[in-house]
Amino acid sequence: MEAFAPDEPPTFEQLMLPHLDAAYNLASWLLREPHDAEDAVQDAFLRAHGAFARFRGVDGRAWLLTIVRNVCYSRMRQNRRGPDEVVFQDEVHGSTHDPADANAVAWHEVKSELLRKGLERLQPEYREVIVLHEIEGLAYREIANVSGIPIGTVMSRLARARAKLQTEVLALAGGGATHEL
Amino acid sequence: MNCNDIRPLLEARSDGELDLVRQLELEAHLRACPDCALRAQGIDARRNALRDSLPRIAAPPQFREKIRALLRAEESPSSPRATRRPPVQRALWNLGGIAASIALALLIGYNLGNARAHANSLLDEAISEHVRSLQASHLMDVASTDQHTVKPWFAGKLDFSPPVADLADTGYPLAGGRLEHIDGRPAAALIFHRRLHAINLFIWPATNGPVQEYRRGKDGYNAEGWSQGGLNFLAVSEIPAAELGQFAEAYRGRVK
Repeated sequence: MEAFAPDEPPTFEQLMLPHLDAAYNLASWLLREPHDAEDAVQDAFLRAHGAFARFRGVDGRAWLLTIVRNVCYSRMRQNRRGPDEVVFQDEVHGSTHDPADANAVAWHEVKSELLRKGLERLQPEYREVIVLHEIEGLAYREIANVSGIPIGTVMSRLARARAKLQTEVLALAGGGATHEL
Repeated sequence: MNCNDIRPLLEARSDGELDLVRQLELEAHLRACPDCALRAQGIDARRNALRDSLPRIAAPPQFREKIRALLRAEESPSSPRATRRPPVQRALWNLGGIAASIALALLIGYNLGNARAHANSLLDEAISEHVRSLQASHLMDVASTDQHTVKPWFAGKLDFSPPVADLADTGYPLAGGRLEHIDGRPAAALIFHRRLHAINLFIWPATNGPVQEYRRGKDGYNAEGWSQGGLNFLAVSEIPAAELGQFAEAYRGRVK
């Protein structure tokens, strides 16, 4: 029975608190209000804590991000006043299947601030894949787990998200918003 | 591959999501096709800009403290909401992974049942990877029929060297390979064709114990597992069990 005695198992805090920044980053980008993001992350940590006994996986970050994502989307649904909710469909919301030539933008000259503004203008589903892939560095397969979509959809959604971000960056840089930059 | 095949893959290439063989095909095309090469350049530049310049919003320090305090309150025994792991689970945590389930199984005398459960979960895992690989074959497959291309591709990606053999002469041509994750560790998956069907052969070191020798079917798929030279092999396909058995036998013979 000796084997049962030794070190304590890792606590929830030890396993999950290191991913607080990742959780906060995703929630901030999805909800866009620091206060909402804090509420959502706190809610997600409490839910994750309650469900920790069922956590079997090895990837604590993906597990936590899945919960954060779900909390954020239910908050967005609650806040939406409209009578009927529009379900996101990649084919409908992403009309441009043949993305514009990425060379249309001199990317090395684009300021971080401009990218941030462009990203804020995208729909949450597009912001989500860009945040998970470009900022958090998740692979397609990890995003598929977190976002609950097939890996092929991750690839096409990410392509559309980048194309749309490019369109926004061009509009911001060339349109009336230029003086703000 | 022509330009129409290449272009949808340029972003996956830039994201490092292509297998090496597909990547090499793409690079060969890009060297010969200035149009596609220019597009690829733009996509790379965009990818770099997004990766380098999009800000990560870090949690404020006082919020971190708040969460920490909240979690400690939840953990304290006086908290009615405290969710403690039940004793058996704590014991499992202490031992960790497979060692735990084996020790526990010995303790309660469920050795056989437990090994069977492990084999079952392996099989479920392998079947689901097999199905997924068929759905995402455009993305994941290493398209190469050449064992001398497939084998080196695994070098540096795995901590072991999977034996790669082409069984074209026995009617099971090698179609490619890819990286997989099975039994809690990285594994090689080799893909073979049988008429219009695919066979996935998963190979991984038997560090968690050798896979039981078995042949069985589940959900319309057949599987055949064996251990050889310190490696586990698990073949999964929708082809008839007898054919899969033939394949497994041919492979075992080739690896020796």
